[in-house]
Amino acid sequence: MKFHRLWGLFLRYYYNLLRSYDRLTDMFFWPVVDLLMWGLTSQYLVKTGALNNTIVLALLGGIILWIFPWRGQYEITVSLLEDLWNRNLVNLFTTPVKFIEWITTLMLIGILKAAVSFAFASAVAIALYQTNIYTLGIKLLPWAGILIIFGWVFGLLVSGIIMRYGTKIQTLAWTAIHLISPFVGVYYSISTLPSWAQTIATYVPASYVFEAMRSEIAGNPVPLNALLPPFLLCVAYLLIALYLLISSYNHILKRGLISVE
Amino acid sequence: MSVLEVNNLTKTFKQSPIIKGISFDVAEGEILGILGPNGAGKTTTLQMLLGILTPTSGSIKIFGQDIATHKSEILESVNFSSTYVDMPWRLSVKENLTWSSYLYQITDRKKRLKQVMELFRLEKIWNMPVASLSAGQKTRVNLARSMVNYPRLLLLDEPTASLDPEVASYMREFFAKQRATYNKSIILTSHNMAEVEELCDRVLILKDGLIFDIDTPANLAKKIEDCYLNLRITKNDSKLDELLRRRKLTSTVLDGVTRIEIKEKILPLFLYELTKLNIQYSEINIDKPNLEDYFMKVAKEKTV
Repeated sequence: MKFHRLWGLFLRYYYNLLRSYDRLTDMFFWPVVDLLMWGLTSQYLVKTGALNNTIVLALLGGIILWIFPWRGQYEITVSLLEDLWNRNLVNLFTTPVKFIEWITTLMLIGILKAAVSFAFASAVAIALYQTNIYTLGIKLLPWAGILIIFGWVFGLLVSGIIMRYGTKIQTLAWTAIHLISPFVGVYYSISTLPSWAQTIATYVPASYVFEAMRSEIAGNPVPLNALLPPFLLCVAYLLIALYLLISSYNHILKRGLISVE
Repeated sequence: MSVLEVNNLTKTFKQSPIIKGISFDVAEGEILGILGPNGAGKTTTLQMLLGILTPTSGSIKIFGQDIATHKSEILESVNFSSTYVDMPWRLSVKENLTWSSYLYQITDRKKRLKQVMELFRLEKIWNMPVASLSAGQKTRVNLARSMVNYPRLLLLDEPTASLDPEVASYMREFFAKQRATYNKSIILTSHNMAEVEELCDRVLILKDGLIFDIDTPANLAKKIEDCYLNLRITKNDSKLDELLRRRKLTSTVLDGVTRIEIKEKILPLFLYELTKLNIQYSEINIDKPNLEDYFMKVAKEKTV
């Protein structure tokens, strides 16, 4: 992997971001919409006595942390789509750029954009609801790490599918991560799910993070090493997703990269 | 010294052979044209040379290294331009060339970008988004991008398509100069036969996935035996008709000019017979076969 190539690819997506108001605004728009909707709803429920401030923090914390898997996935798949729409993949892969360098760049951009969206959303939560997610402390970092890797897994899997089957299934680029969200328990405890769904949730690394966050907010700290199993599960999924994506790319090379565009 | 060696290259799609075992090479400083009717396998071959299509069998060596195992290293010194491949259209010309330049190890990046901007006359459109450019301007930007890394081997797919004649001529001069000055090797596909004839040292004719012929444009043209004799007859045209019938030659008449298809080697004898029969003419003109005639012959044979 060469740094100058990663930088070149980064510039390509950075310039595109500056010139794409849709890509720029969606970093801020959806987190704010979610925060407004859920925040106002929970404030109403607090006033009626149905909710307390701890639950509000858990709800808003869930919304804010969900930014990580969402952006991790979205950045990879939508960037692939943009290269397909621009018929730019041939230009890209007739240069010394390696496939893994391209994927790495998209992953890193995912981290950057997630960090910006997270910072913005958490500031909005403080400003509007006096709810400060940073009270959870340094543990936010490993949680964010697991969640973004989880998002990458979906991003890579969906990219592999789009590369194989083309843009006719491009809707997956925006929606894929939401398919798994019921098993993640962003807004509710996994224990509220039916038992079959709870079984699925045990294989979803992100569910452990949201459970840990709720436990932490409720005053029951979760030791960091408790998140080692979901982290390892995430890494295993990531390796499988990478393998499948590279297989898809190699499969495409047998048909010709032009055939995807 | 060969910069490119292709050995027994094949490509099969769904059990249908597209490229059926082709071998050729390109020397340093050589310009090779690849011609062929639609579906002959030109684009397939170019894609395999660039490593964006995996061959079914055979090998491609560029600068002595196999593209299958050393793609990234090889592409440091190779570049590609096609009218049919786009760039991110929201980005300006400057931005597109800048990010592209970082994909290569270039030490004098700023200087190089300024050079290609001037070489390809991009000053006026430098800060314009690619989406707002005309087809010809996009082609120039694509060509400029392909020169950013000082390529030793350049692959050009229809390099002057959509350019106006003046710019196309400038580009042809540019590529000829690049070869002459820097000994660059170029492979190009084009439907403009005059361009291929002007630029290429050798021409490879692909037909049905096989190399039908590979030679200099002049030698390929010589393989056509027929030429056209154009005469404006002023006396004894009935005798000419009789002579044509006797020699079993075909002719057409347009605007008073008789155009006779005749084998080049019997032309002196035919002209002697005209004089002998006192067939007089006020104008004479001979159209010698060129690369286009040869290409048309190959294309026609394909359709039979």
